[in-house]
Amino acid sequence: MKNHSLWRDAFGRLFQDKWAVASFIIVIAYSLVAILSAMGLIAYDWAREVGGSNLPPSAEHYFGTDIFGRDVLSKVIRGTQIAMSVGLATSLIAIPIGVILGAFAGYFGGWVDDLITWLYTTFSSIPNIMLLISITMILGKGLFAVYVALGATSWVNLCRLIRGEVMKHKEREYVQAAGAIGGGHFRKLFKHILPNVTHIIIINTSLQFQIAIKSEVILSYLGLGVQGEPSWGTMIDDAKLELSRGVWWQLAGATLAMFVIVLAFNLLGDALRDSLDPKLKGK
Amino acid sequence: MTSPLLSVKNLVVEFHTSEGITRAVNNVSFDIPQGKTIGIVGESGSGKSVTSLAVMGLLQKPAARIPQGEILFNNQDLLKFNDDQLRAVRGNQISMIFQEPMTSLNPVFKVGDQIAESLRIHKKMTSKQAWARAVELMNQVGIPKPAESAHKYPHELSGGQKQRVMIAMAISCDPKLLIADEPTTALDVTIQKQVLDLLFKLQQEYKMSMMFITHDLGVIGDIADDVVVMYRSNVVEKNKAKEVFTTASHPYTKGLLACRPKLGANPRRLLTVSDFMTEEGVEIPIDIAKIQVFDKQEEQDAKKSEILLEVKNLVTQFPIKGGIFGKTVDHFKAVNDVSFTLKKGQTLGLVGESGCGKTTLGRSILRLIEPASGQIIYNGQDITNVRAEELRLLRRKMQIIFQDPYSSLNPRMTVSEILTEPLNIHNVGGSKNERLDMAKALVEKVGLKTQQMNRYPHEFSGGQRQRICIARALMLRPEFVICDESVSALDVSIQAQVLNLLLDLQQEFGLTYIFISHDLSVVNFIADEVGVMYAGKIIEMDKASRIYKNPKEEYTRTLLKAIPKGDAKTELASLV
Repeated sequence: MKNHSLWRDAFGRLFQDKWAVASFIIVIAYSLVAILSAMGLIAYDWAREVGGSNLPPSAEHYFGTDIFGRDVLSKVIRGTQIAMSVGLATSLIAIPIGVILGAFAGYFGGWVDDLITWLYTTFSSIPNIMLLISITMILGKGLFAVYVALGATSWVNLCRLIRGEVMKHKEREYVQAAGAIGGGHFRKLFKHILPNVTHIIIINTSLQFQIAIKSEVILSYLGLGVQGEPSWGTMIDDAKLELSRGVWWQLAGATLAMFVIVLAFNLLGDALRDSLDPKLKGK
Repeated sequence: MTSPLLSVKNLVVEFHTSEGITRAVNNVSFDIPQGKTIGIVGESGSGKSVTSLAVMGLLQKPAARIPQGEILFNNQDLLKFNDDQLRAVRGNQISMIFQEPMTSLNPVFKVGDQIAESLRIHKKMTSKQAWARAVELMNQVGIPKPAESAHKYPHELSGGQKQRVMIAMAISCDPKLLIADEPTTALDVTIQKQVLDLLFKLQQEYKMSMMFITHDLGVIGDIADDVVVMYRSNVVEKNKAKEVFTTASHPYTKGLLACRPKLGANPRRLLTVSDFMTEEGVEIPIDIAKIQVFDKQEEQDAKKSEILLEVKNLVTQFPIKGGIFGKTVDHFKAVNDVSFTLKKGQTLGLVGESGCGKTTLGRSILRLIEPASGQIIYNGQDITNVRAEELRLLRRKMQIIFQDPYSSLNPRMTVSEILTEPLNIHNVGGSKNERLDMAKALVEKVGLKTQQMNRYPHEFSGGQRQRICIARALMLRPEFVICDESVSALDVSIQAQVLNLLLDLQQEFGLTYIFISHDLSVVNFIADEVGVMYAGKIIEMDKASRIYKNPKEEYTRTLLKAIPKGDAKTELASLV
C-alpha cells in the first residue's frame, strides 16, 4: 500500500495542470540559462563587437545587434542572469527574516507580537520605491545594493502571512497535544507548526520572485541598479531613444524575456496556491 | 392507497475518480408516504448522505453519476428534470437541514434576512411581507423574542438557536418533504432533545413528510414511522420503527442497537457490530456470556485503593477585556471552586453541556491552562506551581486524549513519527529501532496494523485516528489519562469499539481516567464516579449508578430526561 503524504498529493495535483507544468519548465530553463551564464559558459563575450551597429535580427544574430555592434541575445542572457540572481538573493534574504519574525510574532503574541507588528507596519507604510532609492543611495549603486534593498522590503508580506497562519495553528489540538506529551516551545513551533505553513512560503516565494525581477528592471531603468553590466532595465532604457529610429529589437528582446518569466512565475504561483492550499481555490 | 410522496427505486450512485469507480449507493429503494417520517440510519460512508443529495439533485457532477434508478417525487422523476425545474422544486417543495448550524448560515447577514430571502424568491413576497413571515416562523421554531432576534447576526445566537433558524428557513416555503441530515449530531443532548421535539411538532403541524438521516438509531426512535438501515451502500433492513427496535432481523441492525450504552446496567464490554456479523456480512451467533449485564456497584465497593489525584478549590478564569485600550475589566470563571478526589485505577466521569467548564477543568489539571487559584495534588505532590522543567517530567505520567481525531494529529507527520515523538522528547528507549518497536507493540494493542505506520493521518478513518491518539497518549506509559470528549466525534458503532478499547487498556495498564463527555449514557458505562458540571461548578457528584437512579439536582434530572429513549426499549436478550 502506498502512503500518500500531503506534499505528494499536492504535487500530484500540480502536475496535472498543464499550464503549471509549462511554467515550471520555463522557470527551470531560465534558471539553467542563468547558471550557465554565471559559470561563464555562455554569453561571456557579450561586450565584444560582433558586427555592424544596430543590425536587425538575422540568422546570425537572432535578436540583432545594439548601437556598439554587440549581440543583443547575449545581452538578454546576461540580463537573465542578473534578474534570476536578484530574485534568488531577495528570497534568500526575505524568507528567513519573514518566516522567523512572522512565526515568533504569531506564536508568542504579547509584546513580541506588538514589536514585530510595529516593525512591519512601519516598513510597509513607507512607499517601496522610496525605500529602495534611499537604500541604494546609502549603499551606493550596484547589484549588492539592489539585493539588500529588495530583500529589506519584500519580507513584510511573508511575515504578515506567516504570523496569521501560525496564530491559527497554535490553537489547533495537535499543537496542544505536542504540549501535553511534554514538547517545548521550540518543538511546537518548528517541528509542528512550521511544516504546516510551508506552503505559504512556497506560494509567496514564487510570487515575490517575479516582483523582485520587475523591481530590479525598474531600478536599473532609473539608473539606480546594475552598473556596467547589461540588465533588462538598462536595455529598455537604452532602447527608448533608439525606438524613434526604428530599432525595436533591443526593446523587444528585453521585454519578451521579462514578460515570459513574469508570466510563468504568476501562473506557477496561482497553480501552487490551488494545489497546496485547496481551500483557497475559487469556486 | 395513494402513491407515496417520494419513491426511490433501484437507485445507484457511482463516483468516478482517478482511483477508479466507487459505488456509493447500490440498488437502494424506499418510499416516503405523505406526512410520514422515514429514518435513514447508517455509519459514515454507508451512502445515506449521498442518497439524500441525490434526491436534492445536489451531487457533484461530473464525478457522481447515476447509471440506474428513479427518484419519483409526486410521480415525476426528479432525475429527468433539468436545472431550472430542479431549482423550482428544491427549497420550495423539498428543503434540507444540514448537520453543522455554525457554518450553514451566512455570518454577514441578519438571520431575519436569511429566512426572508427564500420567501422572496420562491413565494414572490415583498420585502415587508417576507420579513413579517420570517418573524412569525422564528416564533414557531421557538426563538425567544422573535421580532428582536430577527435583527441579530448568526454569531449572536447559540448553536441550538442557529439550528432553529435553519429549520425556520427550511420550512419557510411550506415544503412537502423535509430532509434532515444529522441535524442534531453537533448539539448537546438537552438541545438535541428540544430540536427533535420541534421537528416532530412541525412535521405534524405542516403535515410534511420527513427524511431523517442519522448514525444513531436512538435518536430517531421517538420520531420516525419507518426506519431504513443502510450498510456499505446497501439497504439491509426496512421496517416500521417499533419493529426495528423489538425484532431487528439483520445482524448489522442488531449490532447498532446493542452498541449504544444503556442508562441502566450494561455488559462488561459493549457489544459491537463485529459481535453479530463478520466483515463479509455473514451473521454469527452471539455469545451469551457477552450480553450478561453486571452491577458495577458491588465491584466498586470491593475496590479499595489509594488516592491518585486531589483537586482543591480550583479556579480557572479568563480575562474579559473592555474599553478602547483593551484593559481587563473583569474575569470569567470557567472553573469555579471545584474540588474532588480520584482514586487509582478508577474513572471519574464529568458531564455537562458545552460551556460548563468541563474541558477547561481537564486542561487546568494538566496545566495546559494555568489555574488562577486552588491546589492540584498528584500522587501526594502539589503540582499547582511546579516549574516548567519539572512539569515536563510530570507529563510522562499525565496524558490527554482530545475530542477531534481530525485536528489533534499533525497532518505532516506519519503515524510512526507521531508515536515515537513522545519517546524522543523524554529520551525513552535508546535507539530509533527500539522506539519503533515500542510504537509497533502499542499500535497492535489499539487494534491497528503495523504495516499502516508509514501512512499519514488523513489516510485513516475517524475511529482509526482516535486509536492513534490513544496510542500516542499511552506511549510514555502514563498512570493518568484525561479523555476529553474522546468518543463524541465518532459514530455510535465506532464509539463502542473505542470505549471497549479504553476499558481494556485501563485493565492492562492500571490507568486512572477522567472521562469528560456530554453524553450521560457513555459516562454511565465507563465511569465509576460521576460529577455533573454546571456553570463552572460540580453541582452533584456520586457513584455512577446512584446518580442515574436518584439524581438530587434538578439540572441532572433535565440531562437524564434529554437522552433519546428510542433504543432503551430494546432488551439485549431480544437480539440473540
